[in-house]
Amino acid sequence: MSADSDMEYSDNDCEYDDYYNSGEDCDVERLDPKKTDPEYFEFVCLTVEEVEKLLNESVEKLNTILEITPSLAKVLLLEHQWDNQVVVDKYRKDANALLITARIKPPNPLLSIPDPLAPSTSKDAVVFGTSSSVSRSSSCSNDDSPRNALISLGICNTYNTVAPGGGIISQRCQMCPVCASSQMGDKFFSLSCGHAFCKDCWSTFFDTQIFQGISTQIGCMAPMCNVRVPEDLVLTLVTRPVMRDKYQQFAFKDYVKSHPQLRFCPGPNCQIIVRSPEVCAKRVICTSCHTSFCFKCGMDYHAPTDCVVIKKWLTKCADDSETANYISANTKDCPKCHICIEKNGGCNHMLCFNCKHDFCWMCLGDWKTHGSEYYECSRYKDNPNIANESVHVQAREALKKYLHYYERWENHSKSLQLEQQTIDRLRDRINEKVMKGRGTWIDWQYLFNAAALLAKCRYTLQYTYPYAYFMESGSRKDLFEYQQAQLEAEIENLSWKIERAETTDLGDLENQMDIAEKRRTTLLKDFFPVDF
Amino acid sequence: MSSLPRRIIKETQRLMQEPVPGINAIPDENNARYFHVIVTGPNDSPFEGGVFKLELFLPEDYPMSAPKVRFITKIYHPNIDRLGRICLDVLKDKWSPALQIRTILLSIQALLSAPNPDDPLANDVAELWKVNEAEAIKNAREWTQKYAVED
Repeated sequence: MSADSDMEYSDNDCEYDDYYNSGEDCDVERLDPKKTDPEYFEFVCLTVEEVEKLLNESVEKLNTILEITPSLAKVLLLEHQWDNQVVVDKYRKDANALLITARIKPPNPLLSIPDPLAPSTSKDAVVFGTSSSVSRSSSCSNDDSPRNALISLGICNTYNTVAPGGGIISQRCQMCPVCASSQMGDKFFSLSCGHAFCKDCWSTFFDTQIFQGISTQIGCMAPMCNVRVPEDLVLTLVTRPVMRDKYQQFAFKDYVKSHPQLRFCPGPNCQIIVRSPEVCAKRVICTSCHTSFCFKCGMDYHAPTDCVVIKKWLTKCADDSETANYISANTKDCPKCHICIEKNGGCNHMLCFNCKHDFCWMCLGDWKTHGSEYYECSRYKDNPNIANESVHVQAREALKKYLHYYERWENHSKSLQLEQQTIDRLRDRINEKVMKGRGTWIDWQYLFNAAALLAKCRYTLQYTYPYAYFMESGSRKDLFEYQQAQLEAEIENLSWKIERAETTDLGDLENQMDIAEKRRTTLLKDFFPVDF
Repeated sequence: MSSLPRRIIKETQRLMQEPVPGINAIPDENNARYFHVIVTGPNDSPFEGGVFKLELFLPEDYPMSAPKVRFITKIYHPNIDRLGRICLDVLKDKWSPALQIRTILLSIQALLSAPNPDDPLANDVAELWKVNEAEAIKNAREWTQKYAVED
């Protein structure tokens, strides 16, 4: 897109201009912001209650269509990114397979009921007396129709005490394999896998799991059994209000995290959940705590860099920066063998431990040539380093490249942190001007807008550096770096003009703001990935 | 300390009455949750002929959490480190309250027969086990002779 075509809608495509165009005439040529603003993003900020309502609606909808319990519906929705249609389709196609993948049913009902103890110690089962009752309840998993199987397993209804359809067991005493105490059969609960444990052990187990932050992923207590414990069994057996609340909080977190349209606001102690129909790397600003973040990854907003690249960059910075800075500041390559050398003493006469070359740390020239004129080191030009393509030289080149981008990234980041101070200084200066009778407070307000725009542009500029670092060389990178340079130049111009604004004549500054923002949008339009 | 849970009493009784071949676990006189364990090196393994001492402790919330087990005898094994700590799934995320002391000890015995260098705890041992298995097995035999065989 050429710069000229951008000019055509220069009056309407940025929010800073809106400040001046807030009168009636601004809608004359209003263009669709979806097309003109590369950062345009629709989202809503919701409270926990609103999200609960939203999730419950999905759950109820699924209940009605499939006639299943809310508890089962939640598990199925959790496993399918809250896509009702996918769940319904899969359920109608092969309910059994769906329930197995959602870990509601064991993969193989018969094989999944081994003795819970290792095969070689099968005698142990006798001690705890579980084997008979367990295998008994497993027999009901053989129903061919998935729906019927479900109902008979008590999934559609309630969690059944261990003997679905077999009254004999509930009359009889049996031993719980976990606590080793004998109890009446009706004190036992099992999931579709048939592994039966007593009520007290289940609830202690749930407490332990919830205490560790596990909620929707709590599984059956039997070894190697991965059948999931749905919400209703947990809430039936966990009675302490504190633990119930905890469970529900953790489960809610899991639900929100599994929902592609929902994101927790990363702001400290912020309860807001952001919802957007599109999952893309666009900026969200929380209406409650004003934290700004990327909707897709939840990190700081990072246009034009995409989520994967910024993550790579931040990891690299975290890993490398200190080491890299140290290497750069404290080491040099041996002029002969190019091994990286750290200077650990005061003497500048270096003896390379690798190739035993004697050289001067200052000029990297051969030590033999150093006579009395040692401290002058006039032999700097003799350094034969450049042409050499050794691994170490390459490593240093790579480091140089990284540091080039890192320094700029870091510099703009620091500039941004100073932004607040700039604004404070502006406020003082404006007060001074107003006191001297040079314009009114209102007249000077444009400077704040200019400072805000400067911050916005600088922020984007900061995030162009990781993008450029990971870009392959070529014409596209050339174009990117050209646009980046243009943006940087205009930002510095703007900064200069803000610092030195002496009159209330805003024409010049406004023009500069417009240019800077135009550069920023152009760069974003050309390079900001609009991914869905 | 509260009275010993029925589960632990039952398990202890059974361990004493019907010991597992090659495994001996005796509760400490003063602490019924602490077991002195002896595992003999499985046949056809580099640990054959060795007698390995371990300690096993049942934490307060046992069986909701796994027993703590550690080798006291030095052993050359990719999944057991120099402090005797054991890398075994059933002692960690695969623990189930329905598992028992004896099943855990059997798993440890099985680990001696089938070391898993792809999931190492002792990196140097695992590395050698992968690069030069014969050499690693030779080391394991030597360590067994040196530390696990009483003259």
